[in-house]
Amino acid sequence: MDLIRHLQCFVAVAEELHFGRAAQRLGVAQPPLSQRIQRLERELGVRLFERSSRQVTITKGGTLLLDEARRLLAHSEALMATARRIQDGHSGLLRAALPPDITGGTVAAILAGFQERESGVELELHELPTAEQLARLASHDLDVGLIHHPCDVSGLELGPVLRHELGVLLPHDAAEARLETVPLAALTGYDLILFPRAHAPAVHDELLTTCARHGYTPAAVRHGQGPSFIRGLLLSSRAIAFGPRDAHHAGDPDLVWRPLSGAPLAWRHSAAWPRGRGDAAVRAFADTVTDALGRTAAPGPGVAPGPLHLRPTAEYWI
Amino acid sequence: MTEPTTRNHPRDRIRAAFAAAGVTGWLHAVDIDSAAQIEVGADQPVVTASVHKLCLLVALHQHAEAGRLALTDQVESPAGGRTPGPTGLSAMLDPARVSLRDAAYLMMAVSDNTAAELLLARVGLDAVNETTERLGLTRTHAVQTFGEFITTIREDAGHGGPQALADPQVLARLRALDPARTNRSTPRDMTRLLGAIWRDEACTPEHSAAVRRLLGLQVWPHRLASGFPFDEVHVAGKTGSAPTLRNEVGVIEYPDHGRYAVAIFTRAASPAAALPAADAVIGTTARIAIDALRSPDPRSAGGFRGRPGA
Repeated sequence: MDLIRHLQCFVAVAEELHFGRAAQRLGVAQPPLSQRIQRLERELGVRLFERSSRQVTITKGGTLLLDEARRLLAHSEALMATARRIQDGHSGLLRAALPPDITGGTVAAILAGFQERESGVELELHELPTAEQLARLASHDLDVGLIHHPCDVSGLELGPVLRHELGVLLPHDAAEARLETVPLAALTGYDLILFPRAHAPAVHDELLTTCARHGYTPAAVRHGQGPSFIRGLLLSSRAIAFGPRDAHHAGDPDLVWRPLSGAPLAWRHSAAWPRGRGDAAVRAFADTVTDALGRTAAPGPGVAPGPLHLRPTAEYWI
Repeated sequence: MTEPTTRNHPRDRIRAAFAAAGVTGWLHAVDIDSAAQIEVGADQPVVTASVHKLCLLVALHQHAEAGRLALTDQVESPAGGRTPGPTGLSAMLDPARVSLRDAAYLMMAVSDNTAAELLLARVGLDAVNETTERLGLTRTHAVQTFGEFITTIREDAGHGGPQALADPQVLARLRALDPARTNRSTPRDMTRLLGAIWRDEACTPEHSAAVRRLLGLQVWPHRLASGFPFDEVHVAGKTGSAPTLRNEVGVIEYPDHGRYAVAIFTRAASPAAALPAADAVIGTTARIAIDALRSPDPRSAGGFRGRPGA
């Protein structure tokens, strides 16, 4: 018996609770699907479904086996993913991506750390913004990435989420540079230099919303990235940028980095890969990235503390 | 960011509007009388959430038609054990007694979860699925009650409560966001349902009119209705929501008798509960689609004339 194929049938029927729809989803006819379920029930010695003329319900025994079946299918997909990579002539090639804002030191640590864990796998590393990574993960043109949250995580599995608190980069002669920590509201009057919105729209919007919530609504947002572009704008026009402490080149005499009062802003990153495709190489990359970023990150998922007032329009209430 | 120009195809402008609002969206809009249509991912399986209350409403009226219940039958809602929700009976503190049709009003006007559970207890999940199957909605299926849907969100959120829904790892495991594991449909199935209701095909004319009346009594102004700030245009709809999901299906009627069914389902990249732009883009994209369907040149509109009633 092809156990994997039979378990796929089991999970499909368990999720649809309808043989016709499960057959449609699997792209098979209904009679062979029913036969496979019966065969699986005989093989396991467990009745999986109760069938009446009108409906299908999963049995207690079926429920107990469902999670195990899903786990086994996920492992089987991971094995197939590795096999596909080898078939594609990429034997042991891992296509991975990091976002542009990761510092050079972290990139070096990731490359070295990965070779230590998976010396047989060749790493093809790309620099890609989160939106581009999500598109390539979805089309399976990328095996694993490091993405900025929040973003649409449908169809993905995630590594631990790491939080880097952001501070403000100011010209050294700005009045606010004399403060030990800078309240966001004190930045009123400065333009904001921020990465292009298309790179990670929800991160971009959330940052502006948090600034507004704390009393800072920049008159203009200048979109750009790259240390020399940011440095030029900071020094030539009345503008500021946000960044984690380790991204600031402490040797630059013209710029200062200051923490924000109350730490309202943070980058949140995690490794991400398509669900069911987390093979050994993918997990090694995810672990390496998590370790490398973890050296400078705060622990925990980094969910913003404070109250959450769901409004009646939310419709759900938990 | 470049603003979409009016010369672009409506589909491109709809996609650009979804992107600008920070959501992924799927849309189907159809002229109820000519069957001209605009689609952006119209066959995508989507989580219906409270949009499925519309299917329940139609099933309720079919039961009434068949004499299995009377819409004036009274139903008790004890104060304890109500389905959680921020509106209607779900938010009330004392025992209540209402007719089935008034419970249906609460379910449609303010998406009252307790009212929906009372009706579902009378009609049954199987009958809801039989109703959608008979109407040819092959991609539409209910697997759980509205209370069970909310329970899975609570269970999957874990000990962190609603705040935990901002955690990407929690979002990635929510069963309520996976169309394979909760109540589901497609934008095209939902416009087909609306077309049947507006053409008196889902029920008798009298019952269809009652269903249309309730869709017109929905109170929410922030989604579909926001795209039609015109006093002479009638908006009827039903929303559905879950963490990151914002949906609405409805019918827009113009004084020249043009009537358009539209179904829009979105998923936001941000888990924030308050995202006014993500609500409003449902109105914005519905308007782009319907303006295109109403444009004198159907080719520039991108719509095509199909068989009536398709």
